[in-house]
Amino acid sequence: MMINEPAATGVAHLPEELAVAANATRVHRVLPDEPVVKIRPESSSVVSNMREVWAHRELLYFLIWRDLKVRYKQTILGVAWVILQPLLMALVFAVFMGRLARVPSDGVPYAVFAYAGLLPWLFFSNSVASGSHSLVANNYVITKVYFPRLILPIAVVGVRLVDFVIAFSVLIGLMLYYNVHVTPSVLLLPMFMAEITLLALGISVWFSALNARYRDVGAVLPVLLQLWMFTSPIIYPMSIVPQGWRFLYGLNPVSGIVEGFRACLFGSQFDWLSIAISAVVTLLAFLYFVFDFCRKQDSLVDII
Amino acid sequence: MRPIIEVRNLSKRYCFDKRVMANRNLREAWVTALKSPVERLSGRQAVRDTEFWALRDISFEVETGEVLGIIGSNGAGKSTLLKILSRITKPTTGGVDMYGRSNSLLEIGTGFHPDLTGRENVYLNAAIIGMKRAEIKSKFDEIVAFAGVGQFLDIPIKYYSTGMHLRLAFAVVAHLEPDILILDEVMAVGDAAFQKKCLAKMKEVSREGGTVLFVSHDLMSVTQLCGRALLIESGRLLDMGDAGSVVSNYLLKMSGVEAN
Repeated sequence: MMINEPAATGVAHLPEELAVAANATRVHRVLPDEPVVKIRPESSSVVSNMREVWAHRELLYFLIWRDLKVRYKQTILGVAWVILQPLLMALVFAVFMGRLARVPSDGVPYAVFAYAGLLPWLFFSNSVASGSHSLVANNYVITKVYFPRLILPIAVVGVRLVDFVIAFSVLIGLMLYYNVHVTPSVLLLPMFMAEITLLALGISVWFSALNARYRDVGAVLPVLLQLWMFTSPIIYPMSIVPQGWRFLYGLNPVSGIVEGFRACLFGSQFDWLSIAISAVVTLLAFLYFVFDFCRKQDSLVDII
Repeated sequence: MRPIIEVRNLSKRYCFDKRVMANRNLREAWVTALKSPVERLSGRQAVRDTEFWALRDISFEVETGEVLGIIGSNGAGKSTLLKILSRITKPTTGGVDMYGRSNSLLEIGTGFHPDLTGRENVYLNAAIIGMKRAEIKSKFDEIVAFAGVGQFLDIPIKYYSTGMHLRLAFAVVAHLEPDILILDEVMAVGDAAFQKKCLAKMKEVSREGGTVLFVSHDLMSVTQLCGRALLIESGRLLDMGDAGSVVSNYLLKMSGVEAN
């Protein structure tokens, strides 16, 4: 029996049957020249974080799938909620703002106008609300397994994107019902959708890290989102904001996006200035938030 | 031959600094920010109230195909070491190089969702612990057969017994094929049959050329299974070498402590 190579194999003290097997069938694996994993105190760069997220894209898919599945298992109305939330809100606003307060709606029936504004807004605010909670909600997983933490808030935004697509089908119905004609502008819709997704991602990512440290975020955020909604042209058009205030108003990236989103659908004039401002603000915010997250994420597990 | 894992001067500090720990809400963060504006602005940290070194200056190497046991009392730093090796937390100083794909199991069934069925949880858990989708698909039937939960596969696992839950979770794990397998004291939760399965799996990984690192309080299985062992106490590497002698040294030291 050949069990006398402790230095080479380090198995000299295994039970006899195992040691025999180990020596007989041991596969000598060839090690790569460079380490596969390097663990260092310094935080890894944003680029390597992105690469890791890409490498874990299947996990991202599974997490989105999990959230959708769990949600529909625990509710009776399931998918209907995704439609009911914007629809009921649009209805209430149509009655009180459209009918009673006579808020203008840029020549489109107010109900369609409000629904078309609420759709991207609810995608955004729901993403931020649940995205900011994603790390805390999964703390039992992230303290036990490693995967890029960024995956969690991204998965939440992915789930909301699915919701958005479902609720969008109702918008098509509404537009047909109210006889709103579609123009070639509609082709620009994906651009605005991409922009608000980027904004939602950045803010979710950043707040998820902040929430891990300060649980106050959970209390502050709903209020903040409420205020944000009313300072954005969701249930009223940007045209009622006085000219002199337009620039300041436009610094809120949501305003340019939602106005652009509606202009695509209703074929109205694009306000390119506010669209450009919101694009720049969105991009800068996204980069800052992701960069900051990558810097902070290493200490998160120790304090969550 | 070059080692598959190189650990160099690894240290980990946890700060139970009043400021860090107390700043759980924003109000206190503001207050401390106002109280110590100088440190804030200059970016200098105030002297830590309490700092705790969970690991200090740990260095060792692991050869390919080795089964390395890590022993030590509770709170010695074993789990912290595994957490760093699993990349869950960062070291404060030092570094680790790994020349292979590693999978860690610090807990059985991480990410199991009670409302999902057994089938769904197999997919989810496998994805979380690092399996590829194609890999899971090709091994799915094997995993289910191994777990022996056949008829309950499509009911939510919240209705599973503890034993079924454990078997299903372990079945997923048993079908991983890592270069390096890192195990915390996972088998302590199971019954004798379960522990036997765990041990068999570790042997299998090692037989196929994989490397196993495992933490255990079961000194018997450490001597039986491991070629070498590390002894960690109070965050320091006290002893390293042949598993049998590390374990007997440890026992000797323990009885000395008791005698005192």
